[in-house]
Amino acid sequence: MKQSWRKKILGGLSLTTALFIFQACYGTPQDMGLDIFIEGQVKSEKTNKPVKGIKVSVEDKLQYQYTDESGKFSFYTETATSYKIKFEDIDSDQNGIFVEKDTLLTKIDKTIYLNIELEEK
Amino acid sequence: MFRELRKKSFQKFKNTETRIHELNYLFWECTTQCNMSCLHCGSDCSQNNSFKDMPLTDFLSALDTIKAKPENFTVVITGGEPLLRNDLEICGREIRKHGARWGIVSNGYLYNMERHISLLNSGLGALTISLDGLEENHNWLRNSSDSFAKVDTALSLAAGSSRLNFDIVTCVNKRNITELPSIYSYLIKKRVKAWRLFTISPIGRAKNNPDLILGNFQFKEMLDFISHKRKEKSIDIKFSCEGYVGKYELKVRDSYFFCRAGINIGSVLVDGSISACPNIDRSFSQGNIYKDNFSEIWEKKYQLFRDRSWTKAGLCERCSEYQYCQGNGLHNRVNMKGDLLICHNNKIIKALEN
Repeated sequence: MKQSWRKKILGGLSLTTALFIFQACYGTPQDMGLDIFIEGQVKSEKTNKPVKGIKVSVEDKLQYQYTDESGKFSFYTETATSYKIKFEDIDSDQNGIFVEKDTLLTKIDKTIYLNIELEEK
Repeated sequence: MFRELRKKSFQKFKNTETRIHELNYLFWECTTQCNMSCLHCGSDCSQNNSFKDMPLTDFLSALDTIKAKPENFTVVITGGEPLLRNDLEICGREIRKHGARWGIVSNGYLYNMERHISLLNSGLGALTISLDGLEENHNWLRNSSDSFAKVDTALSLAAGSSRLNFDIVTCVNKRNITELPSIYSYLIKKRVKAWRLFTISPIGRAKNNPDLILGNFQFKEMLDFISHKRKEKSIDIKFSCEGYVGKYELKVRDSYFFCRAGINIGSVLVDGSISACPNIDRSFSQGNIYKDNFSEIWEKKYQLFRDRSWTKAGLCERCSEYQYCQGNGLHNRVNMKGDLLICHNNKIIKALEN
């Protein structure tokens, strides 16, 4: 702990605080960890069974993922103050037909779990 | 006087960093397979390779020996070409579950929209892509006729992501040095925020190709270019940490030269070897994850990285700037006898003499 303070003071004196975040030759910059983990499960409101093939996306982002056999999804996404998560049935009637749903998240933790129920058309 | 104080403080800072030797940057050479056969490859990678990819579970066992990881601990997945691994996204997710962040170094050839999204979904946070010139020169060095078109797509995707800490690296050589201003304009147009310039070391495949190694005056010309462009502040341009550059220190980088290999940087190489940066001579390996505990090796060994007095030999023996340089980047050494592949500062001095 004492050594860590010494390091910070000396780094500050040499105006090299940027050095605490560095990159190696032929390596990447360091990751600042500016993301959160969103996971969950999508079920049918009517049958309570998992729904496969639902497209889960974050509004205004490129990222998306499809739910698996268990209706589960999980992804990391960039840190924000709120998220609008969209659930869309885009595979026609292959796994049933469901109404699109949006969920607005305003209480943001590093990990978020969502239980989503979709209404059948 | 202020400059001297700053320099001295940095020396003490370096000493403290060395004493603490906190590991916060770990390379994983997950494969040595590569989809290219670049003329300058320091690892001598190719499409046919005798090493099998390292299984993820083997790497995770080594990672788990590090009990208290610092907050900014990053695993940098390298190769070969990491995007050739079909389980790369699984690797990334597992690394996150095991308490680390991750990034990749790629030639960008396979980095398309689909892969970009799946990598972000898996928690990718840092990315470095190689660009070695505009179309003709990039394709020449990469030994591939369509690699520029592919890397152009890759860097558009990466530059468009505010999540990624992303930069471009360029290996400057005798052919592309004259087009640095054009590359600069191209990168700004593509909205790339950070650009790191390297020279090519005479190791791996580059050892036998004199066209790749900059002459003294060209080297100085490159540093002048970086120094000049840094003042424009249009892009975070810098010289890499490959070597000490004397009077150009702080003109071409944010901070003084500090080779952190074995001090903050470790690696797990494809055969299980435990070392520092992957481009450092393999004879400097400190152990092997298949028979040693990674964390114990990190704590108890690595003496040659943390006490560099052995480098004060040969060209360095009587150098007046040794205290600042400490033997240059360790990838410029192939043995402990004092042979130095490149002295960057010497190149500058010789260029100024002529």
